[in-house]
Amino acid sequence: MKKFLLISLIVAAIGTLIVLKITFRKADTSVESKKADVVISANDLLNAFESDEIVANAKYLNKVILVEGIVAEINADSTGVSVYLKEAETVSGVLCGFNSETEISDNVNIGQKIKIKGMCTGYLMDVVLNKCAFE
Amino acid sequence: MKTRLILVLLIVLSATLNAQKYIAKTGHIWFYSYTPIEEIEAHNRQSVSILDASTGDIQFTLLIRSFEFKIALMQEHFNVNYMESDKFPKSSFKGKITNPEKINFKKDGVYEAEASGDLTIHGVTKPVNVKGTVEIKNGLPTLKSKFKILTEDYKIVVPDLVKEKIAKEIEISLDIVYQAN
Repeated sequence: MKKFLLISLIVAAIGTLIVLKITFRKADTSVESKKADVVISANDLLNAFESDEIVANAKYLNKVILVEGIVAEINADSTGVSVYLKEAETVSGVLCGFNSETEISDNVNIGQKIKIKGMCTGYLMDVVLNKCAFE
Repeated sequence: MKTRLILVLLIVLSATLNAQKYIAKTGHIWFYSYTPIEEIEAHNRQSVSILDASTGDIQFTLLIRSFEFKIALMQEHFNVNYMESDKFPKSSFKGKITNPEKINFKKDGVYEAEASGDLTIHGVTKPVNVKGTVEIKNGLPTLKSKFKILTEDYKIVVPDLVKEKIAKEIEISLDIVYQAN
């Protein structure tokens, strides 16, 4: 009986270890497959952070956000790929960072209205979204 | 009246020409931790930096949550347990290039640069001296640097359980491509 207990304990321990190992090694599931927690215009999102960063942090930080805005800049260089959403009359905007392997299609042009989904990581000069995907 | 207007215009123009301020919004800053058991690296591609060529003033700010890891759970631990990014969402450097006379921002080339200033990580501010290069290409600077910090200097507590996986000394690298401001 003691032996049986011991064996089942070892089996359980190994099982837990395997499960843990898999969980710990889990690659970052991209935002792409997740449903947006918030749908908002780029300008409204910026306004929220500009008027009260603490309140906006509590509301949007670490959430998957679907923003709609106007493409002001497209950056794809050795350091990364990003799309900058900004209205002509505002100083700041929403900076959307993509996976560095992302290829921005020719369908994305400056001045165009676009929807991008990403994880909100906070506010510096702009509101920053990470792990972005086109919607 | 006309001459006065021209004079004002000239002053404004020369002031903007002399300002020589550069800005980067998608600066790439990453860190690397090595132990025989585990290698960890994470990249932040949305670091903001402002460089004033006339004074040598240089600033960096980044969001801790913008660091991306290969493994999701590592990123979660980094934010929640080690960096406490809800409490300390940003990290920054404020300082000066100490040898601005050696860098000709108007002439393409690669220049050795040194900077000193205050580095704030995890709510702790420490003076640092770093070396790097400034490359001027088509009139715009790109800054590259590599330096090391100790986690204990910034009160980053690593539990005994994972002490062998996280290096005490973390290597930080910068690759910042500036735009004219």
